[in-house]
Amino acid sequence: MKRFDCLKSLVPMLSDEIVIISLGGQIDEWYHLRPSHKNMYIKGMGAVIPFAFGLSVALPHRKIICSDTDGSLLLNMGILATLGNENPNNLIVMILDNECYETIAKHPTHTSKNVDLAEMARGAGIKNAFTVKTVSEFMDRMKRALKLNELSFIVLKLEPGSQAFPEEERKRSDGIEDKYNFVRYLESSENITIFPREQKSIRKIEAKHNWNNTKL
Amino acid sequence: MKENSVKLVMESLKEAGINTIIVLPDSRFKELYPALASDPYFRYIPVTNEGEGVAIAAGVMLGGRGAVMLMENSGLRVAIEPLSRLGHTHEIPVFMIMSYVGDIGERNWWGITHGLNMVSLLQAMHIPYIIVRKNDEIKDAIVRAKHHTAVSKYHVAVVLCGEVTE
Repeated sequence: MKRFDCLKSLVPMLSDEIVIISLGGQIDEWYHLRPSHKNMYIKGMGAVIPFAFGLSVALPHRKIICSDTDGSLLLNMGILATLGNENPNNLIVMILDNECYETIAKHPTHTSKNVDLAEMARGAGIKNAFTVKTVSEFMDRMKRALKLNELSFIVLKLEPGSQAFPEEERKRSDGIEDKYNFVRYLESSENITIFPREQKSIRKIEAKHNWNNTKL
Repeated sequence: MKENSVKLVMESLKEAGINTIIVLPDSRFKELYPALASDPYFRYIPVTNEGEGVAIAAGVMLGGRGAVMLMENSGLRVAIEPLSRLGHTHEIPVFMIMSYVGDIGERNWWGITHGLNMVSLLQAMHIPYIIVRKNDEIKDAIVRAKHHTAVSKYHVAVVLCGEVTE
């Protein structure tokens, strides 16, 4: 199963869902498939699911989809325990598990051997935790997860490999631009202020200054 | 912490617009936790490590709600990597309140490096911080620091010690 095919099958299911994207080849693929400020790209292994969970706390009425990787989750497995206890009903976590650190010469991750992330998620108390191995299985689980008002955790077993795009079709915004695009989208769609506007000068001019007598 | 300090911290958090508390427990704040967890104003979220906690706080903040990571200062050592990613790569701020284990007067030999590392790590990361030793300084520090995160788009820390954590 290819990652690009799975991501492609997800796009028609979405409307105003917020999507949090992790690192690696999925960035350009998702940017190509769903160019939108409803996406936020987080460049921080181990921080992606926690960040998405934080958003789900702040925006309980919005559906948040978090697309993380096996390598990133393995860096901070503790988040499974937190999710299992907090049980955010508006969060869907997808783990794109290609069993390797693909950008680092496909160095194998622990999921290439004995580690079963869905089983670990279930052990942490996440009852809707599944592994999928075909695109149709993924679509079926994702359709159900989108309808369900419960935390879902879907591990996608993938073959390594990324879709290649011409340079001009690749995402070119950086982490700060991504943040502002996302924040401005949230501010307008939620009618909130996340970063306050510049404060107007509160200093009063007590007396009018006569610039004619001033040597500039 | 004495009852008065607990009350002042809770009042200050409310005044600063912070309603989400992310916690990795520390012995110096132990009286604060049940008070926060039982107050319906707050969403109280225990986590497994400070790196996870600061990333959750960043998500809450970017979603438009006030959040704080409440931690021992040694947790800063754990949280540096996500703090750098969030703060430098994305300019997404995190507000932290931490204890000052290893402050001058520390009674435990193992706590000394907590204090030394805290100061040097905050400075290395260019994270502004306020050290609060007196109860009457709590509110100003928390309200100002929280506001500063939104304006500076960068992390700020309030370090509680002295009379506050006695």
